[in-house]
Amino acid sequence: MSETLIAMAWIIGPLAVTLLFPFTSWALGRWYQNRIMNVLLEKEKLEGASLQNENHLSTASTTALMSAQASALLHVSICVGPSIGQIFFMWFKSLFGGRLQSYDFVLEYGRREVLLRLREQAKSLGCTSIHNVRLETSVISSARNQDSKRASVEFLAFATGLIQ
Amino acid sequence: MQPGSVSLFMSNVETIPGKTITRSFGLVTGSTVRSKHFGKDLFAGLKNIVGGELRQYTELLNESRNEALQRMMTQAQSMGANGIVNIRFATSSVAAGASELFCYGTAVFVE
Repeated sequence: MSETLIAMAWIIGPLAVTLLFPFTSWALGRWYQNRIMNVLLEKEKLEGASLQNENHLSTASTTALMSAQASALLHVSICVGPSIGQIFFMWFKSLFGGRLQSYDFVLEYGRREVLLRLREQAKSLGCTSIHNVRLETSVISSARNQDSKRASVEFLAFATGLIQ
Repeated sequence: MQPGSVSLFMSNVETIPGKTITRSFGLVTGSTVRSKHFGKDLFAGLKNIVGGELRQYTELLNESRNEALQRMMTQAQSMGANGIVNIRFATSSVAAGASELFCYGTAVFVE
């Protein structure tokens, strides 16, 4: 009796793990990404509180450049990607179209995080303001095949930091 | 302050703030093609179970981008320039698992 149970467990166990994996990965992804987003929101709040100059991030290239003493080139990048489970369910979602929420979330996180890191880098180099910010996005594919499910997105931000 | 051994005035605006451009030397470029280390790729694969930031890739791309910048700076210095203005970065996937990191700018002499 117990031997048949063990045999059944050996058959059903791996099968269940395989079938449940997308769900687990989806749930873990949701949980983990919400957590890192909350951390980011906290950091952004702190950054906002310590802000002196309201015009600290600018995409314009001409303002305030004349009065600066020195400058530095800043560049930061970050690679982000949704979890495997999220990609799996996105495939179903894309049959009907509409908003792909998990991709949205991860991309928003990446873009905000890269801007935060740009500000941190500027601060560590002693810059007081950041000008001519440029944001670029590119897809980094997996090593084995081009349209693998493990593609990730790279965000690059570069700018000129001014030291007044 | 700048990555690597060569140090130049660099910016992605049309001038070097606080300096005057006296000579222009034209376009300088730097590029590097990198692919991922197998072990790092494996770890990134594990990280993909939860998603979010893939730190291994971030580090690798940063390293490679610094190398591309370094090559551009070396080229500018060999021309006799002491600064690079209007720097732009570009990234492209050239083959499966490999990316090209490219940067370009205008080499100048500033005072």
